[in-house]
Amino acid sequence: MTAALETTGLGKRYRRTWALRDCTLAVPEGRVAALVGPNGAGKTTLLHLAVGLLGPTTGAIRLLGQPSGGAGLLERVGFVAQDAPLYRDFTAADLLTLGRKLNRRFDDQLARERLRQLGIPLDRRVGSLSGGQHAQVALVLALAKRPELLLLDEPLASLDPLARREFLQTLMGSVAEQGATVVLSSHLLADLERVCDYLIVLSHAQVQVLGVVDELLEQHRLLVGPYREQPFPIPGVAQVVRSSHTERQASLLVRTNGPINDPAWRVREVSLEDLVLAYLADPSAGTLPGPLAHADRLEVQA
Amino acid sequence: MIWLVWRQHRLQALFAVLGLAVLAAFLVPTSLQMRHAFDRAGLDDCLPKASRVQVVQTGPGGPGQDNDLVAACKERADRFTSRFGYLGNVGVLLWFLPLLAGLFWGAPLVARELEHGTHRLVWTQGVSRTRWALAKFGLVGGGVVLLAAGFALLVTWWRLPLDQAAGRQYLSPGPIYDLIGPVPIGYALFAVALGVLAGALTRRTQAAMAVTLVGFLVTRIVVEFMVRPNLLSPARRIFPVAGTTMPNELVRDWIVRAGVYSATGRRLDGGTLGAYSSQYCGPQLSGKCDAGQGVGTYNQELFFSSDRIWLVQGIETALFVALAVLLLLAAVQWIRRRRLA
Amino acid sequence: MIEFHLDGRSKVATYLQLVQQVEQALRVGLLQPGDQLPKVRQVAESLAINPNTVLKAYRELEHAGLVQGRQGLGTFVLRSVGAPTLASHAELRAGLDEWIGRARAAGLDDDDIVALVELTLRGSFQEGIA
Repeated sequence: MTAALETTGLGKRYRRTWALRDCTLAVPEGRVAALVGPNGAGKTTLLHLAVGLLGPTTGAIRLLGQPSGGAGLLERVGFVAQDAPLYRDFTAADLLTLGRKLNRRFDDQLARERLRQLGIPLDRRVGSLSGGQHAQVALVLALAKRPELLLLDEPLASLDPLARREFLQTLMGSVAEQGATVVLSSHLLADLERVCDYLIVLSHAQVQVLGVVDELLEQHRLLVGPYREQPFPIPGVAQVVRSSHTERQASLLVRTNGPINDPAWRVREVSLEDLVLAYLADPSAGTLPGPLAHADRLEVQA
Repeated sequence: MIWLVWRQHRLQALFAVLGLAVLAAFLVPTSLQMRHAFDRAGLDDCLPKASRVQVVQTGPGGPGQDNDLVAACKERADRFTSRFGYLGNVGVLLWFLPLLAGLFWGAPLVARELEHGTHRLVWTQGVSRTRWALAKFGLVGGGVVLLAAGFALLVTWWRLPLDQAAGRQYLSPGPIYDLIGPVPIGYALFAVALGVLAGALTRRTQAAMAVTLVGFLVTRIVVEFMVRPNLLSPARRIFPVAGTTMPNELVRDWIVRAGVYSATGRRLDGGTLGAYSSQYCGPQLSGKCDAGQGVGTYNQELFFSSDRIWLVQGIETALFVALAVLLLLAAVQWIRRRRLA
Repeated sequence: MIEFHLDGRSKVATYLQLVQQVEQALRVGLLQPGDQLPKVRQVAESLAINPNTVLKAYRELEHAGLVQGRQGLGTFVLRSVGAPTLASHAELRAGLDEWIGRARAAGLDDDDIVALVELTLRGSFQEGIA
C-alpha cells in the first residue's frame, strides 16, 4: 500500500527551538488520519511543511509519492489552514472563480451543488457568513479540486456543535465519493473517533503514537485491580502507558502483547480518547527502544 | 491570475482613476483659464521670440531691438506669474502622490495577505508562488506606471503656461521638478516597489507603511541632493560682475548652481541651487561688488538648457525604475523562500 | 430503506451498532430479502462517520450471509434473521404482555424486568449447553 503522506526524519527549527523533530511517519492511502496533540506540539508545522508553506530543516517529506513542492502537486492536494482563511470581501462565487482560475482541475459544478445543498448563498460576502458556513465554504473550495490528499488544520476549532457535525458530514460524504486520504488535526477527540481510522499523536514536537485506530484499540486495555506496590510484570502487558491508584485500587492503561489472564485484573477496552489522553499525559510513554511509533509502523504497512 | 489581481485591486484602481478624474476636473479649468489669460497678454506671441535671446543689455550702451522685446515681454510675463503663481504653490501638494501610492498600494500588497493569512489559501492552489508574485507585481506595477504617466502628463500640461512665463525661475529649488516630466512615474513605481518589499519583510501593513515612508523620503533626498547634480554635467555660463550684460531671465534654463567667484576661482558667495545672485554682482552693482573683492570676479552659472533637462529627468527616472525592479525582484525571491507560513 | 442511528455514549463499536441495527430490522421485518441497504456514501454523510466503518459493517453482514454487495449497484438483503418474523408471534407477544403486567404489579420497574429476563436467558442458555 502506498503512503499518501510520508515523512523521514522530518524536522523544523526556528532559531533555537525545534517545532518538529525526528518525525517519521507514513499515512496509508484512503485513511482518514487524526493528527492530535497539545498546542505547540507541531501539528501546524507538520501540515505547513507538507503543503510547502515551510521548508524543512532536516529530513524529507513526500506527498502522493512526490517530494513536497513538486510541480503540480498542489493541484492534487487540498489544504485548509487554521481558521479557514478566505478573502472576506469575496463572495462564495468569487472564491469559486478563484479556484477555477488558479487550478487546472476544479469541479465548479460540484462545489456549487454542495453549497446549494448546504444553503450557503453564493452572492454574499464571505465575511458576513456564519462561522460554520465560512468553514464549509473553505472545505468545499478545497474539495472542488478533487484532491487525492486533503489536509485540514484544526478545522473544527471555532465551530459550534451543529456546525462541526455538518462539516464532518460534508467531509465524510466527500471521502466516500472521492476516496481521498485525509489528515485532520484537532484536539476535539470525541469528534475524531467516529471519523478517523488512523492516529498520529504529536507531543513536544515528536511523534508519540502512530497506527491504525482499530489495531491500536485492540492492543490497549484498561486494567483495574487491587493496588500493589510491585504489580509488575503482568504477563500479557508489554508496557504500562498510564497508571493511577487510590489506596486500594489501581488502574493501568497498558499496551498488550498477549492475552491477560491474571484474574486479579478486570480487563476493559479503551476508547480512543482514553488512549490519546494517556499517552499525552506522559510524554516519555512509548519510548522503549525506539518509540511506540516504530513498533506500529511495521504493522501499518498492511 | 489576471482575474484575481483585478478582483483584489479593482476598488483601488477605481479609486485612483476617479481621483485622477477629480484632479483633472480641478486642473483643466484652471489651466484653460491660465491659457486664456496667457494668450490675451500676448505671451503666446512674444515668449517664443523673446526666449531665443540669450543675453540682454543693461545700463548704458543702448538697448537694442532684442532688449526692448525681452523687457516688454518680461513685464507681461511677470504680471502673469504674479497673478497665477499661487496655483503653482498649491500644486506642490501633489508631490505626495507617488508616496501615497507606495503607502496604500505597495505596502498592503503582500503584507495584508500575510496578516490575514490568506497567503495560506492562495499559495496552496495550483499556481506557483513565483507566478503569483510576478503577476501581482507586474500587473499592479503596470497599473501604477499608467496612472503615474497620466498624472505626469496632466500636471505637465497644466503647468505649461506658468512654466513658460517663469523662464528660469520655473525649476528653482522646489518640487516642481518632481511633478513634471517622467520622474513622477519613477517615484511612484519606486514607492510601490519599496512598499511591496517592506510588506514582505515585515509582514505587517503598518510597519511596511512606516518603512516605505522613511525609505522613500531618505532615498529621494539622497538622490535629489547628492546624485542628481552629478547625473550629467551641466553647461557653464560666465558673465562679468560689473558689466552691462546678463542672461535673459525668460530663457527656460534650469540653474543648478550659481555664485560669484574671485579671479582665482574661489567662491565668494552665491545662492542655493539655482538661485541667481543678482543682488550681489549683477548689473545693479550693489554693495560688496567692488574692486576690493579683486579684479576679475565673475558670475558663474551651472545650468541645463531646456532640452537637456529632459535628459537629466530621463536618467533619474531610469534610476528609480531600475531600483523599483530590483526591489520587486528581491520581493519575489523572498516570497519564494518558503518560510512565510 | 432503513435509517441508521448511532448511540454516542454506547461502548459498542460503531460498525457493530450498524450491524446490530440491520439484524434488528431484519428481525422485525423492516427489511425484507431483496431490499437495498443505504448506500455507503449516504450513511457516512448522514452519520458523519468514516465510510470504511460502513464498509466494515456491510462486510460483516455479508460474511454472515445476510446481505450481498453487487458491484456498482449497492448492497442487498439476502435472507432474514431467524425464521418467521417476530410480528407473526402474536401468541407469544400476548403472553409476554400479560407477564410484564404481572411483573410490574409485583413492583419491578423496567430495568429490573430486563435484568430478570437476561439472567433467565443466560441461565437457560447454560442449561442448553450442559
